[in-house]
Amino acid sequence: MTQLLSVKNLCKSFGDQLIVNSVSFDVNESSTLGIVGESGSGKTTLVRSILRAIDPDSGSVRYNGEAGWQNLHELSAKELLPLRREVQMIFQDPFASLNPRMTVQTILEEPLVIHDLGDKAWRKQRVMEMLEKVQLDPSSAARFPHAFSGGQRQRIGIARALILEPRLVVCDESVSALDVSVQSQILDLLKALQSELGLTYLFVAHDLRVVREFCDEVLVMYSGNVVEQGPVEEVFNSPDHDYTRLLLSAIPSPDPDEKLDPLDRATLNLQLA
Amino acid sequence: MSANNLVSINNLTVEFKTELGSVTALKDVSFDLPRNCITAVVGESGSGKSVTSNSIMRLLPDSAQTSGEIILYPQKSEPISITSLAEKDPRLRSLRGGLVSMVFQEPMTALSPVHRIGDQVAEAVLCHREVSKEAAWSEAASMLEQVGLTDVQQKMRMYPFEFSGGMRQRVIIAMALICHPQLLICDEPTTALDVTIQAEILVLIKSLQQKLQNSVLFITHDLGVVAQVADRVVVMYDGQVLEVGDVKQILKNPQHPYTCHLLASMPGAERRTTKESKQKNWAAGAALGGGTALATAEDGRQVREFVR
Repeated sequence: MTQLLSVKNLCKSFGDQLIVNSVSFDVNESSTLGIVGESGSGKTTLVRSILRAIDPDSGSVRYNGEAGWQNLHELSAKELLPLRREVQMIFQDPFASLNPRMTVQTILEEPLVIHDLGDKAWRKQRVMEMLEKVQLDPSSAARFPHAFSGGQRQRIGIARALILEPRLVVCDESVSALDVSVQSQILDLLKALQSELGLTYLFVAHDLRVVREFCDEVLVMYSGNVVEQGPVEEVFNSPDHDYTRLLLSAIPSPDPDEKLDPLDRATLNLQLA
Repeated sequence: MSANNLVSINNLTVEFKTELGSVTALKDVSFDLPRNCITAVVGESGSGKSVTSNSIMRLLPDSAQTSGEIILYPQKSEPISITSLAEKDPRLRSLRGGLVSMVFQEPMTALSPVHRIGDQVAEAVLCHREVSKEAAWSEAASMLEQVGLTDVQQKMRMYPFEFSGGMRQRVIIAMALICHPQLLICDEPTTALDVTIQAEILVLIKSLQQKLQNSVLFITHDLGVVAQVADRVVVMYDGQVLEVGDVKQILKNPQHPYTCHLLASMPGAERRTTKESKQKNWAAGAALGGGTALATAEDGRQVREFVR
């Protein structure tokens, strides 16, 4: 398997608060890495510094793109532009992430316009193809976001991210605002698109059940540190760190006979190494 | 009937008048909330869960047209027909926050950002009972201790922004319980919280119910949450009640295809059901419509039967 992304000792602090503390991991192509943790654990700051949506303090993010391995933090904004095509993001809130005054056609076309791809007719064609890929009606293109449900909007968000044919897609809590039944449809869609297009996902989530179903590898974050990482089943079946045990014990089981008995933080060893 | 049930909802239909014509949010909904019991209402967004609970609190907007009846049977007084109370009826004020109170989904928007925590909790007491400010304040303090806050006197002088999401939700629960309501409505109280905090709040709601012996109406779309808090389950879809029964009956042996679909949608459910059965259940669920009346099954639960 080819490696696509390699993060080494990434640090980011806001003021004197250390939010991401020396995080390192590798991601293979066409695999899915889940990043879990409570709110405030630094998940979002981590992925944003990888994308250079914010600039980290130290550490390196190396990406194996069309042009070979490159350190994302040594590139200028101009040099970064072609890489922006390869790395895209799907956001959490399907309501806030779409401009209410743009039609779906304009929303989906915008990334192509920014990267100056194709002519008008070709772009229109691409939008139609993408709508079909995310299982939306072609007539959706002329409509505005308010006409769609949360699940349909998330499909529009996915189409916008994928229209540039990225290789790495960052999903920041992309299904957590959705109902369970809609959530499972969107996860099925993301999986189908992954096997069709060979996508690599960085999947940020706080729902461990979703991560277990959807991801190959998982990274457990606790107050800015990675406390555990490895293949999903290994980490979930035999967690090494008490924090992972705490997270796992808090999952409500759909079996009424398995009573919820969350571990008490006070009895756990949550010290960071 | 009234001996065992705190609330009876009979043939409740709610329509909203909009610019594009009328939308029926609830179609002929009937179920009871027994005393000393946690009843969960599950369904996806748009299924009518929140419209049902807002009807009990009479919080629907003016554009809603309601038919049918909701009757509350308080422990020590006359039954109240909630649906027929006039807007200015003093019983409606004593009902809201008194007999029936509510915990909302978003703990930040449910608290006032410019008032101290202690004042917000004590306000509920002052609204419903003739007590001094000092008495209300000390009652608020003991309620906040019951929901698991520490250093209560100090925290009561703080503002909501100084609290974490889980602590805010504990405050909301204290506010809702301080007038000893006979019915507590929880509308997705843990959806906005982390899984660890969610577990703590679920354990809290369950243990407070066992201590106070009140009734709880718990609205959620997460069947894992249902399994952990509820005694009874009402499954709703498209404004209709599809299935009502004991939590173990519903989750271990669901009768309605839509309930099967909800169970199969749970993340990780593939471990228990195959992909094909998930698809089949979904197809059955998607073909909903034209439901007949609720039929009573052999084991006493009610299931809506369909004609295709």
